[in-house]
Amino acid sequence: MSSTTERVDRKAKKREKIVRTALKLFAKQGFYTTTIPEIAGKIGMSVGNLYNYFSSKEILAQEIIREISAYLGSRIREVNDSDLHVREKIRRIVSIYFETARNEPEMIDFFLRVYLSNREVFHEGCEGMICVNEFVTEIMIFFDDGVANGELKNQDFFSAFGLFMGYLGGMVFLNGERILPRRLESYIDDISENIYNALKVP
Amino acid sequence: MAEVRLELIEKIEGEAQVRYHYEKDHIDFAEILFLTGRGIERILEGRDPWDALAINPRVCGICGHAHLIATVRALEDCYDDLQVSAKAKQIRELTLAFEVLQNHFKWFYLTILPLLELKAPMERVLEPSRLLGEMIALLAGQYPHNSYAIPGGISGEITPVELLGVRERHQRIRKHFQESVIHVDLEQFVRCDRIETMLEREGDLPRAMQRILDWGWERLGRSHDRFIVFGSNDLFEAGKSIGTRLRRHLDLRYLQESPIQGSRARRVLYRGRSYETGPLARAMLLKTPLTREAHRRYGDSLFSRILARVCEIPRLLRYTESLIGSIDLSEPAWVDPGPLPVEAEGVGIVEAARGSLIHQVRVGEGKIQKYRIVTPTQWNLGNGSREDPGVAQAALIGLRRGDPAELVFKSFDVCSVCTTK
Amino acid sequence: MRLLWLSALACNGNAHSLLNYPGFQEWQEDFHWLYHPLLPSRYTFPEIEKGIEGVEVLIVDGTLEEGLIKNRLPYRELLLRYGDQAERIVTVGTCATFGGIFAQGGGGRSGLHFEGDEHLKGYERFWEKTVSLPGCPVQPEVLAGTLSIIRRRDPLPLDTLHRPKYFYAYTIHDGCTRNEYFEYKIDEHHFGTLEGCMFYDHGCQGTFTHGSCNKILWNGVNSKTRAGTPCLGCTEPDFPREGLWRTPKHMGIPARMPLGVPRRAYLGLAGIAKAFRIERFTRPLMEDEGG
Ligand code: SF4
Ligand code: SF4
Repeated sequence: MSSTTERVDRKAKKREKIVRTALKLFAKQGFYTTTIPEIAGKIGMSVGNLYNYFSSKEILAQEIIREISAYLGSRIREVNDSDLHVREKIRRIVSIYFETARNEPEMIDFFLRVYLSNREVFHEGCEGMICVNEFVTEIMIFFDDGVANGELKNQDFFSAFGLFMGYLGGMVFLNGERILPRRLESYIDDISENIYNALKVP
Repeated sequence: MAEVRLELIEKIEGEAQVRYHYEKDHIDFAEILFLTGRGIERILEGRDPWDALAINPRVCGICGHAHLIATVRALEDCYDDLQVSAKAKQIRELTLAFEVLQNHFKWFYLTILPLLELKAPMERVLEPSRLLGEMIALLAGQYPHNSYAIPGGISGEITPVELLGVRERHQRIRKHFQESVIHVDLEQFVRCDRIETMLEREGDLPRAMQRILDWGWERLGRSHDRFIVFGSNDLFEAGKSIGTRLRRHLDLRYLQESPIQGSRARRVLYRGRSYETGPLARAMLLKTPLTREAHRRYGDSLFSRILARVCEIPRLLRYTESLIGSIDLSEPAWVDPGPLPVEAEGVGIVEAARGSLIHQVRVGEGKIQKYRIVTPTQWNLGNGSREDPGVAQAALIGLRRGDPAELVFKSFDVCSVCTTK
Repeated sequence: MRLLWLSALACNGNAHSLLNYPGFQEWQEDFHWLYHPLLPSRYTFPEIEKGIEGVEVLIVDGTLEEGLIKNRLPYRELLLRYGDQAERIVTVGTCATFGGIFAQGGGGRSGLHFEGDEHLKGYERFWEKTVSLPGCPVQPEVLAGTLSIIRRRDPLPLDTLHRPKYFYAYTIHDGCTRNEYFEYKIDEHHFGTLEGCMFYDHGCQGTFTHGSCNKILWNGVNSKTRAGTPCLGCTEPDFPREGLWRTPKHMGIPARMPLGVPRRAYLGLAGIAKAFRIERFTRPLMEDEGG
């Protein structure tokens, strides 16, 4: 009994390790230049064994985006579940995003460089927004609450979503290219205020 | 000796009171009072115009569908140039006619026969009523109170399966009408122009008309002999007639509504005069043979009025049969009319079971600013003064004690719920 | 069983609807109308006002109005007198239950125990014996069936608004022919078609309205939603809400969720369903499958 649990545990840990390693490599080198043997080599496991966990590089990439989405989704959910004013909620979401970009830069890089740039990889298995469902759902709930409370303007979902996420993505990109003169965090107040002004009830 | 008696009239749609003023042995004056009002017109104000499609059928539990059709016509009239397919129009005509038919059956069996102390098996009214409800539901979703007629057409799509269901039931009703009500072939009946020929048969209609003759009531309930019909389609013609003199042209600007003291109804006049509306009026405009003959003999009496209403049934059955046959199912059920103009006015006119029904809407800033409903009962039952009595009042005045005042009153088929919209 | 039907501000739709009950003749053999607004009855209305005995079930129809007088007596007096006499009270239709449409037409109007979802105290002593049968109008099967169950003294489980569960435990959405379009989140709907679901744009309240419209079917053959008309939510306390033909939305997300479904669950499922473009739902139902 206990040995089974241990085995399951060990497998889960291994799996986690593969995902972490692959995430770093994909984020740094891109999807196509990264190979399965390279990932396996980095961890010190055999290529055959790695295939026991993920049957293809595509499936591995899809798992990664799901985990990123789940991670961001759960962080935003905490904000949604709070009683904060919408203005403060926006600030928190922006902070979460930038904090993630700083502490786990590969997550955001993967999202921008792999998920958004290599759509063909995600065609089968990640149709539509399935693989980022948890993240998108929380953003939807954030918008829905804001409108229901009379704080946000009732508008088309994608106009609002694009404004919010495009803005944050753009800033992280500029930061990554080292174009920003200041630290990313120092922009949180201004950006939050801009987003709030753009989305609030006129 | 003058005497005033207040009577409650029940088993109509809702209730009304009549205050009879007797002078010696006859009715010298009668006031018709409707005590409660519901304020539908007010409820509509400030709402989204489409809401009227849901709310207005609830004006009336028996002729609510006429209110729906009047509403959709009023809303469509708000557009400059709106397309509705022939199919959608035909299907709306069908469901409207089915309701009129149903109302005719119900009134004849539930209201008129008991007053003539005639009995008929309950199924004679239940069956056609139920079948007609099903026919409307097949096309419109449910009955009573559907909202399937919407600007641009109808809300759903019709397949041959629904039409088949309608056809079969239609045949059943035609058979029922021939066997139980007139006891003769329908085509023959429609051509009949002699009262005696009609009376020779055994159906419930001849029984009723014979009873009226036997009891010597055939000349009672005469009124102004003025008729008005606003709606026209392939079955009815609009116009007014004074006796048998016709005028085709009507103009809604001459319509006047005024409050009635002590009653929640409003009286309605055309160029300052009251007119009778309903099946007798429609028959007078069309000069249908049997009704014309009754009118020639007995004037606008309860005899002519009851006969005219039942005689509409075969005409409606033929009309709906030809409509069913002419529907082209490949046409669209709905053509998007685009948004309703934010500022507009519209009128919707319908010939309902009891007569002309008129809806008028004014839309402002995209909301209903004003909604006016003029119902058939307002024409027929609206109160006037002693000098200028309304239609039913005039029919009641002059009756003696012992005369069937209730029958005279109900020969108009009072829809108090519509009137007190 | 002896029935007394009293109408306040009504359209008579509930009375007419009952006549459409397919088994009406047989059903009626077990009941006696002490008073009914259309059908032959033992007493006239003035006799009812004078006072009769023997009422077993009081049927209350129509919106109540403060100070309403039908003929000679205040309507409230009739309600109190016969409400005490009756073993059970049935409020028939949304007007008598919650106030309905006509409650919006003037002050002092309500249902017997409710004004919308507010529980009133004016007839509180009757609450325990009241059964609510909202609907505009009520389906004949619901009224006839409830009365029969009461007559047989069979158990009649009720929800918190006292609606019999046998008829109101379902939602209108149960049994709608447009269900697949809802399940797979095909949010495109055009009137005049067999396809599509009215939840997304056209105000359908079927997923959060209690009733049997798509189970029993209206007139035995059809329903509003099958015929392309949105469910207007006529069995619920807030009927009729404004803008009945449009779905209120927050940034494209329907403001009201299906009954009891958490928003997160709905949005999560919707996101997944929407990701798949399922061919079948994009084609007209009657189109050649080969084509
Ligand atoms: S139209 Fe209404 S009842 Fe039918 S499936 Fe859609 S939401 Fe449900
Ligand atoms: S479908 Fe909805 S609005 Fe129509 S009758 Fe049923 S509950 Fe009422």
